[in-house]
Amino acid sequence: MQVKAIMQSNVRSVKKGTTLGQLLVSFKDFHSFPVVPVVDSEQVLVGTVHIRSFFEIFQPHNQDLLMRNPLSMISREPTDIFNLDIEAEMGFLIIMADIMDTKVVKIEQSADLRKAYDLMQLHGKTAIPVVDDNKRLVGIVSIFDIVMKIFHEKGLI
Amino acid sequence: MNALLGISLILLLGLLSGKIAEKVRTPAITAYLIIGILIGPFSLGFVPESIIAASGLISNFALSFIAFSIGQSFSRGLFHQIGKQVLWISILAAFGAGVFVVVAMRVMGLPLYVALLFGSIATATAPAALIMIIRQYKAKGRFTEILMGVVAIDDAWGLIVFSVCLAFARKIHFNHADSVFQVMLSAFWEIGGSFVLGGIIGWMFSKFSRHIRNERDLLIYTVGTILFTAGLAIHFHLSVLLGCMVLSATIVNVHKESFRFFEVLQTVDWPVYLIFFVLAGANLEINLLVEIGAIGAVYVIVRILGKCLGTYFGAVISNAGSDVKRYMGIAQMPQAGVALGMALIAKSTFPEWGAMIFTTIAATTIIYEIIGPIFVKIALHKANQIPGD
Repeated sequence: MQVKAIMQSNVRSVKKGTTLGQLLVSFKDFHSFPVVPVVDSEQVLVGTVHIRSFFEIFQPHNQDLLMRNPLSMISREPTDIFNLDIEAEMGFLIIMADIMDTKVVKIEQSADLRKAYDLMQLHGKTAIPVVDDNKRLVGIVSIFDIVMKIFHEKGLI
Repeated sequence: MNALLGISLILLLGLLSGKIAEKVRTPAITAYLIIGILIGPFSLGFVPESIIAASGLISNFALSFIAFSIGQSFSRGLFHQIGKQVLWISILAAFGAGVFVVVAMRVMGLPLYVALLFGSIATATAPAALIMIIRQYKAKGRFTEILMGVVAIDDAWGLIVFSVCLAFARKIHFNHADSVFQVMLSAFWEIGGSFVLGGIIGWMFSKFSRHIRNERDLLIYTVGTILFTAGLAIHFHLSVLLGCMVLSATIVNVHKESFRFFEVLQTVDWPVYLIFFVLAGANLEINLLVEIGAIGAVYVIVRILGKCLGTYFGAVISNAGSDVKRYMGIAQMPQAGVALGMALIAKSTFPEWGAMIFTTIAATTIIYEIIGPIFVKIALHKANQIPGD
């Protein structure tokens, strides 16, 4: 079975130019922050925003470069979220292009369900964006969607 | 004491010293080094002989991991991100420190191959101390951004320069009966062979990785391939550092989801580094400290002079601001992990001068880690990067 048969097509995505404030308002009623796909003007998937993105934006610029050096210790320390360098204007100054994670794990809508499951297992994800042949965002598929499909086939629901 | 007890002691005391270092705002690596000196055979003697004897194996293990991780810097995306100012400054600062130290060591009367080793080790800069200061004072601005970029790429240049100099130093020292041409040819063979080895394994690694389906297998596959590359490099007398760097540089440019290989390695690599740095401290021959006085002092001063001058010219060429020209050199003073790793390789490769090189680098690392942060703070202050200062 293909991914497109079970994926959630009604995905809430944001644009590269969406501000941090707009994002926070948009998701304030969610019980937990999901993986939010970021798309360009042609709906092409260019990144994702996830909960860690909020911490990393308040770190000095270029610090991510040091992640490549294992002795820089950066990726090994938990972020002190109570001591972040936050100013009010960041809400409209920071846009998704600044904070999005460009290392995106995605899957084509024509791919097999097992491939989607393997990919999520390999990358430690519970949900990944789904794209068409032109890399445009068409949905999101989660392990829960796959579990539901299997349970449905077995008659549990 | 048996080997397992010795390793457990290293891990637990290392952990404790890291926690204490955190409280006094010192990089953990410095704490590991000091613990190593304290429990090593030249002090309390808590580290069993069998573990000291395995230092070479553990060094190769740790340095393969370090080289593999740092090699991912050589991606097209990264060079685009860091920009020409960082590239010019980092290259010329490394070059400046290297050349200055080589010349100074030759003036001090050291053999050419020893001077080359000292010079290449002088290129590296430790990022951990710098990050601590930047975070502590909440430094921000263009100067801080450039400094972060320079320190990020700096160790990559350092490892390449050291690998090349090591190849030449080995040939100069061990093949001294050969002509200059033969020495050059032999060194280039070692360097070229390492590139070919890392490139081929990296390409094959990327191709076969599609068969990996879960994180456990991914970790085994990644560690296995790094060790395979390092092992073959040793077998064919090639460079372990270059081989592993080219391995990851190939993967990062061939495989679109290569970041996972590096992330999964980080889940297991730190205990290896901890043992490596404690053993580095344990290998420090305290009795040699009195003999390295003048060389150590010259190294400390000349390295930073070279960094300052190199940075100045890098800043001039890339049109960086006057703050960068004036103060970024002294901000690159800290020296630690990568330099110690290089010095340990020198120690195991050259029995005659190796212990002196290693002891000098270990001792100057401690000095740099004490005075380095002070100079970093001065540089950030002068460049107006500290809010409310």
